Order: sequence, then structure tokens, then C-alpha cells
Amino acid sequence: MLHRRIYQFLIIYGLGLGLLLVLKYSLNLSDYVIPGPDEIGRTGRTYAGPYFLAVLNTLGVAILGHILSICLATIVAVIGRLTAWIGSFIRTAAFNIQAYPIVAVAPIIFILLGDGLPSRLLIAAMICYFPLLLSFIGVFSEPVREIEHFYESTGRLTWRLQIKIRAFENIQKLTTVIVGSATMAMVGTIVAEFIAATAGIGYSIRIALYQSDLAKILVALFLIGVGTSLYLVSLEWIGNALQSRLKRA
Amino acid sequence: MNYRLKWLYNVSTVGDLYADAQGHFARNGLKVNVKPGGPERDALKELELGHAQFGVASADQVLRAAAKGAPIVVLAQLFQVNPLHWIYRPDRTAFSAGEDLKGKRIGVTFGGNDEAILRALLARYGIAETEVTLFSVRYDYTPFYEGRVDFWPLYLNAQAVIIGEKLEKAGEAYAFVSPDQLGVRFVANSVVTTREMVAQRPDTVKRFLKALLEGWRDALDPRHQEKAIRVLLEADRETPAAIVVKQLSVTRELMLTRAGAEFGQIDPAAWKQTEEVMRAQNLMPAPVDVQSLLVTFQQ
Repeated sequence: MLHRRIYQFLIIYGLGLGLLLVLKYSLNLSDYVIPGPDEIGRTGRTYAGPYFLAVLNTLGVAILGHILSICLATIVAVIGRLTAWIGSFIRTAAFNIQAYPIVAVAPIIFILLGDGLPSRLLIAAMICYFPLLLSFIGVFSEPVREIEHFYESTGRLTWRLQIKIRAFENIQKLTTVIVGSATMAMVGTIVAEFIAATAGIGYSIRIALYQSDLAKILVALFLIGVGTSLYLVSLEWIGNALQSRLKRA
Repeated sequence: MNYRLKWLYNVSTVGDLYADAQGHFARNGLKVNVKPGGPERDALKELELGHAQFGVASADQVLRAAAKGAPIVVLAQLFQVNPLHWIYRPDRTAFSAGEDLKGKRIGVTFGGNDEAILRALLARYGIAETEVTLFSVRYDYTPFYEGRVDFWPLYLNAQAVIIGEKLEKAGEAYAFVSPDQLGVRFVANSVVTTREMVAQRPDTVKRFLKALLEGWRDALDPRHQEKAIRVLLEADRETPAAIVVKQLSVTRELMLTRAGAEFGQIDPAAWKQTEEVMRAQNLMPAPVDVQSLLVTFQQ
């Protein structure tokens, strides 16, 4: 699985880089517009170390933000599945909050929370929680009639049991959406760092942009791709292990 | 033709807008689209890709690009004094000479040209980086308002007017550190084009430059102030007119430093110093022959 993910990423990255170099040489562009292989290699050797640490920093925040958003989506979906007024209110509020573009909300977050870890975490969570929420609300609001009916008729259906049944029956769907939203958690963290943080690969990209240094950005993108692939593979592995365990049980 | 500015429409582009709105380009037989710049727009890249024929770029951008082989030249230098300054509160922070920066908390945009300027100042006054605290700044001025940072970088003709007004309302005194007065002359915005344009369409370049400089001279002329402000406010609807009036006055001082000085003059010594500063900080991959970048047309 890991091998496949990395291999696929390398093909995509290689194609993108190749396209840039074709453009560079066919249009006779300077290294300022598109750096040559020499400069990319030199930059890679110089910045791979610090950028790798920056990617780890970003990945750490992204994972925390992802966990936060999973918890948030679960809570909102569990409450939102209620047909009562509070369920409807929670659903509407969750959808409305998501409707605001993060770049508009981010300055308020940074003013309130500063430019440290809490802001990065919150923005990462905000960006990736919506797809989670949509799926979670769908899963937790949809009754599994053939199983729930049995417990209902015997008067043993509690809300906890209802959630467990619905989660178990849709575990594959939940795993898929959690893996899918992991990329958004990484993107969200990078966006947050780009806007206002002082650490992480998003911050390094911002500095590289100030210096119009595309070679640095290409190195950063490579490491982000590798880091994200590793995270996705880990999530897929955990999801598969969980599913196997549940099936055995 | 497209003329890509460095930043969004603001007071630093008043002459560019004026040249367009008052028909200077048209009178010189040119149809020019004056396009705003921004954080993700780079006039130098657009010149090379053929999306623009003229542009505005800061000296550090020009030197970085030239060091990487970009075929560009400088036609005119807009600011004679770099508008980048540091604001401070004299009643809280004692400052009378460069050496006084020692031990202070100084705001800096890492990767920005203020970082290069600040490092040049520290080097000039023999202050090691460990002897100051560098504070990474963004758009939020709260750390400065709260006194957590002693010196905060801003543009004298733009944010300084707005921040200064807020501090005045709060009854606080403020002053500015001018890198130029401390001996670091780091060139700011300049008008650029490609070597190909100069070689193949010299007449167009001459007419463009003539129209642009006429526009700038008129816009900075106090007799045309009302008209210049009206032109600017049509493009920049966000800034109140009262602020723009003050900003224009400061811009005039930064662009026309001496009485009778010719607008747009290129200062080769300042360019040389800018190149030296950038080279000393390894901000360029190779040295640049500054003189070969600077093109002078007889107007």
C-alpha cells in the first residue's frame, strides 16, 4: 500500500516537474521564472533537512486537527441526528459556519488566539471537518432498520447502541471519508501557516514566495507529498485493521 | 500593452493611474492597461512570459531575477528614499542612533525586504543577531500596540499614516527609524521592462517612459493634488480621502527628495549598495553587474 501511494505520488510529481521544465526550455525562460534541474537539486540538498522538519511539524498539527475535526463531526452528527429543534439548530449552525471562507475567518482567529499552535489547529480542523460532518450526519441519521427494529421492539435500544449499530454498518464509508479528509487537514494546516503562523512548511513556502524562489517551493511540495502519502497510508492501514477486527468480532 | 504594478492600487501607484486617467499614455500614442499587482503577482515573471510589457518591481526582486538570468532592465526609480521604516514610541523606547537597536525587540517580515534591510542595519552597527530579538510580523499590529515589540516595520507613505493617526487619537507619541538616514540605502520600487523591448521597440519604450514620468510629475505636483486624489480614490475605494491626502504628501517627500530633483532618477550608488547588502546575506545566487541593468533614456 505504502509502495503504491509513494510510487503514484512520484509519477504525478515527476510529470508536473517535467511539464515545467518542458515549458522552461521551450519558451527559453530564465531560472527566475522556472528553475533548472541544477538549481532544484542544489536547493533540495540545502533545504531538504529543514523543510523535512517543517513538514513533520505541519503533519503533527494536521493529525491533531484531523482528530479534533473527527471528534467535532461525531458530536455534531450525533446531536444533529435528533429530529428535535436542537438537532436542526446544530445542523444549520454547522453548515453556516462552513459557508464562510477560511481566509476571511482566519484573521479573526489569529487576533483572538495569536499565531501559534491553537490557530493552526483550529483552521486545520475547520477546513477538513465539513466533508466529515456531511458523511457522519448521513450515517448517523440513517436508521439500520433490520437491526434497530429488533432492539426497539425489545425496548433495549439506547442512543449509544443506535450510534454503535449505525457506525458498525457503515464503517467502510466512515473510513473512506476519514482518509479522504486527511488531505484536507494537511491543506488546512498549510493554509493556516501560510496566513499567519511562524512555523511549519506553509510558513517556509510563504518566505520562499517572498523571495520568488520556485525551487524552494518545488522542494517543499515534494516533501509535503511524501508526508501526506505516509499519513494517508497509515490511516488506510488503521481503517483496514479496524474493519478486520470488527468483522472477526 | 500591459503595465503590471507591484501592489494593489494605493498611493504608491498614484502616478501610474494618473498617467492613464489623464490621457498621458494616449497622447503618446499608447494604449496601456494599468493592472494592479498583489502578493501572488510578479511583474518580472509576467514580463518574461510576455503577459506584460512594463512593470514595477522592488530592487531586491530585480536583483534576484537578474542573478538568475532574467533579461530585464530598469527604466526609472520611483522612490528616491525607501518607504520602509520602523515605527516606535520614543517615550518607551530610547533611540537616537543605529547602535540603540541593541537589546530591542524588532519586528521583521522573514523573507521580506525588511529582513534584508534590518540585517544590513545590524551589520552596519556591529550588532549580532543574538543581541536583538526578532519578532515575526504579519498584518496584525496588536503586538506593537501592546508594547510587546519596540520597533514595527511599515511603509511610511501607507500604513504609517493610518497607524500614526490611531496612536495620536490614543494620545501616544511615535517616531520612525529611517534605514536611509542610518546609512542603508536599499532601493524600493522601479519601473522595469525586458532587454528585448529596449532593443526591438526603443521608440515605444521612450514614449511609455515619457508618458509615465509626465503622469507621475503631474500627480505629485501640489497644484494637481485634488485631481490626483480623485483619480486614486476611483481605483482605491477602501481608503478614506483624508488619509489619502496625508499619504500623498508623504509619498511626494519620498519621491522628490530634493527641490528641483528630476522624478524617476536612477540612483546607481543606492543600487550598488542594495546589491552588496543582498550578496552579503546570500540572498542572490550570483553577483550582478548593476550598471548593466540600469538604462537611461534622454527625455
